[in-house]
Amino acid sequence: MSFLAPLWLLLGAAAAVPLLLHLLRRNVTARVEFPAARYLQRAEQEHSRSLRLRNLLLMLLRVLLVLAIALAAARPFVAGLGVGHGATALAILLDNSLSTTALEGGAPVFERLRRATRALLLAATPTDRLWLVTADGRLRAGTREALLAEVDAMAPVQGRGDLPLALRRAVAAVQSAALPARVVAVATDAQRTSWTDAARTGIPVTVHAPVAEPPRNRAVVAAGAEPTRWTPRGAISARIDAPDSVGFRVVLGERTIARGAVGRGEPVALRVAPPERGWQAGRVEIEPDDYPADDARHFAVWIGAAPSVSATPSAGPFVSTALGVLAADGRASAGEAVRIASADAVTTLPALILPPADPVRLGAANRELARLGVPWRFAAIDRTPGVARGDRLDGTAVRERYRLVREGAAPSDTLATAGGAPWIVAGLRYVLVGSRLDPAATDLPVRAAFVPWLAEMLGMRLGAPAGDLGAPIFAEPGAPITLPVGAEAIENASGTRRAVGDGTSTAPSERGVWFILAGGRRVGAVVVNAPPEESSLARWRAGELAARLAGRDGRASGTADAWVRDSFAAGTRRPAVTPLLALALALIAAEAIAVRTSRSTVA
Amino acid sequence: MESPALRADLTDPAALASLGHIEVVARWIVDGFLSGLHRSPRKGFSVEFAEFRPYQPGDDLRYVDWKIAARADRWVVKQYEEETNLRATLVLDVSRSMDWRGAPSAQRLTKRAYAEQLVAALALLLLRQRDAVGLIRFDDAIRTSIPPRARTTQWRRIVAALAEPGGGRASDLANALGQAARLVTRRGMMVLVTDLLVDVEAVMPALRGLRAAGHDVTVFHVMDPAERRFTLAGEAQYEDPESALAVPAAGADVRAAYESTVTTVIAEWREALAAMGAGYELVLTDQPYSLALRRAFDVRQRRP
Repeated sequence: MSFLAPLWLLLGAAAAVPLLLHLLRRNVTARVEFPAARYLQRAEQEHSRSLRLRNLLLMLLRVLLVLAIALAAARPFVAGLGVGHGATALAILLDNSLSTTALEGGAPVFERLRRATRALLLAATPTDRLWLVTADGRLRAGTREALLAEVDAMAPVQGRGDLPLALRRAVAAVQSAALPARVVAVATDAQRTSWTDAARTGIPVTVHAPVAEPPRNRAVVAAGAEPTRWTPRGAISARIDAPDSVGFRVVLGERTIARGAVGRGEPVALRVAPPERGWQAGRVEIEPDDYPADDARHFAVWIGAAPSVSATPSAGPFVSTALGVLAADGRASAGEAVRIASADAVTTLPALILPPADPVRLGAANRELARLGVPWRFAAIDRTPGVARGDRLDGTAVRERYRLVREGAAPSDTLATAGGAPWIVAGLRYVLVGSRLDPAATDLPVRAAFVPWLAEMLGMRLGAPAGDLGAPIFAEPGAPITLPVGAEAIENASGTRRAVGDGTSTAPSERGVWFILAGGRRVGAVVVNAPPEESSLARWRAGELAARLAGRDGRASGTADAWVRDSFAAGTRRPAVTPLLALALALIAAEAIAVRTSRSTVA
Repeated sequence: MESPALRADLTDPAALASLGHIEVVARWIVDGFLSGLHRSPRKGFSVEFAEFRPYQPGDDLRYVDWKIAARADRWVVKQYEEETNLRATLVLDVSRSMDWRGAPSAQRLTKRAYAEQLVAALALLLLRQRDAVGLIRFDDAIRTSIPPRARTTQWRRIVAALAEPGGGRASDLANALGQAARLVTRRGMMVLVTDLLVDVEAVMPALRGLRAAGHDVTVFHVMDPAERRFTLAGEAQYEDPESALAVPAAGADVRAAYESTVTTVIAEWREALAAMGAGYELVLTDQPYSLALRRAFDVRQRRP
């Protein structure tokens, strides 16, 4: 039962009046002189049983009368009145997330959900208001026929979507409808990871979900190149989630560079020195299973020569030592492509720029920064001890630093802060450090993270060609991404090209590696993979999910027919005002008859 | 003959009471009642010596006491008191329960006012029949006791007595009946005017005593219509003014049961009185007086 004006139910409290009158009638305070009270007493004694029964009956009739009137005023809708279903606001949430591509009984789960959705739409009537919401949160309103066409044309998305968001939109849609019956019907594979964050809706929800256990799944849940720029040697690592051992293949470009098998829980690690150069697409794939969507995982890597680096004496002995380590490992070479020097000694970019050793040279250093187009200047020296915050640099002690002051609007990144102020900043072809790489100024050169940090600065920030992104962009299908300045198009390995603009864009819905093109050459890559959570096919039981989404108003069904019936059950509720008013009249008549009958009986 | 519409005995008691004093009204009632009868004047009254008085010219010589004339040379005439063959005693309940009415005063008399008017009319009616009439007023004690007399001044005594106070917190009907028995040693007529809010068992011995003494007993059971039908509405503690009895009830709920009980009580009284040969008449205070008068007149007519 539901109510259009539930506040009127408060009128039902008036039912307490006859009840209280019945219970408290012996406590009346009004006093009336009546000489024949002895007859009254005798009458009550002689007719006590019939009087009690009559009073009880009258009390019940009057309580029921008040309740019937209160219920009628609240304009209730009750199931079981009439035939078929009444006007219903129905939002169908069709889960077309990637996990619905898992095969069950030889067909994707999505096909089963689509059939159920079609059946539900076919059961709708022209008086119903219909919406269709998909896993990506897209809401469509329309007639039954229009939504059937949408369902027929629909395909699973390549990501997990956002089912909680889709549910919220479905709820908002039905709540906007001025119809007494409001239902959200969810057709889903009930994947646990997709519904974990879903909140209680507050309106009835019917859930149609597979009853069977999900298929056993093997998945490549992680794959990547380390580092993301190979010079030209590097490593590929992957993690495969499988209940038993599984064979794998590693592909770089169009070439299989490794095959093998790993046991349960064993990582895949592969060191390679491929001959390819430039941005390359790669993937780690396993043998196909009933859920092919996660049988391969993509990665991208830039392969090229190690950057040639030279360091002036002003950079300090620790930098020279670190460069020697990198050179020995093949990750840097001696040359002039990248310079490491104090600001007053640097002449060209790209460069890793340090403060001058002598504060007297500060003016010359700032003039050089201005000449090179670096939008930062060294300000007063600050010897307040501080702790750095930044990637790889958290906890690094900073004892002496020049404050970095921004001048100009050129884009730049703050890679680390010290005492809450910028300490290491980077921009196009420069990295600027606020402290000398000397233990007297900072712990950075003596920390273990120093060499990897320097390698990353040289490889990603400074060693990449001008305009190159340095590192790939990782995204889920359809997720928003930020493309570098000058990006013109993206292109996948098969040559499919899509025009894009720089700035915020959307990742392609197809999984794979999409190269970013600028000035006719590849300057980066967008790696589109399904989120690893989609590889977990563990399910909620339909009843659990329905209760999670709607509490007592949740209904779960394993078959399409039951789902259709449950979804329109609320619509079978009809206005009950007329029957209740008729009941009230009948109660009035019954009360009159009871009074008259008891009077004649007693008399 | 007067038109029935103008006869006081057929007029609404409350409206009639507003027209004049009880004495005047009682005369109207009796006149109206008697005018409706096909009356045959009663004859054969015996006479009883009352006193002597000096002879006056024109006096019937049959009543001259010749013995005194011969002995004292003085003419005196025997004065005889007319004597009826009926001595009636009206026993009126003036207890507090009688001072009640179930409607505003303009619409209805209290039971006591109605009963007093009825007693006055009965007394006058009987006196005009040359019967001796007495009055006993009682509540929890005897308030007035007037022996039966047939004198013309008797009615004024009775009317004057009706104005005396009453209103005690009980009705000692048995005591009143005992007093009546002591007042009237010869067989006579006892008329009880009461609301009978007493226990049957407490009264019946006294009534039996009266009947055993040869008296005709007639009980006028005076009830307010609200006591008969319980027309009071609402939820209240209904209190007996003469006792501590308080009964909580809702008028609408108990009305039917109450009416049934009152019907039973009336039947019980009627049956008990009939069993001993006493008359019973229910008189509602909104009824004209003719009913009660007719009843008393019939009783009187049965007497020799």
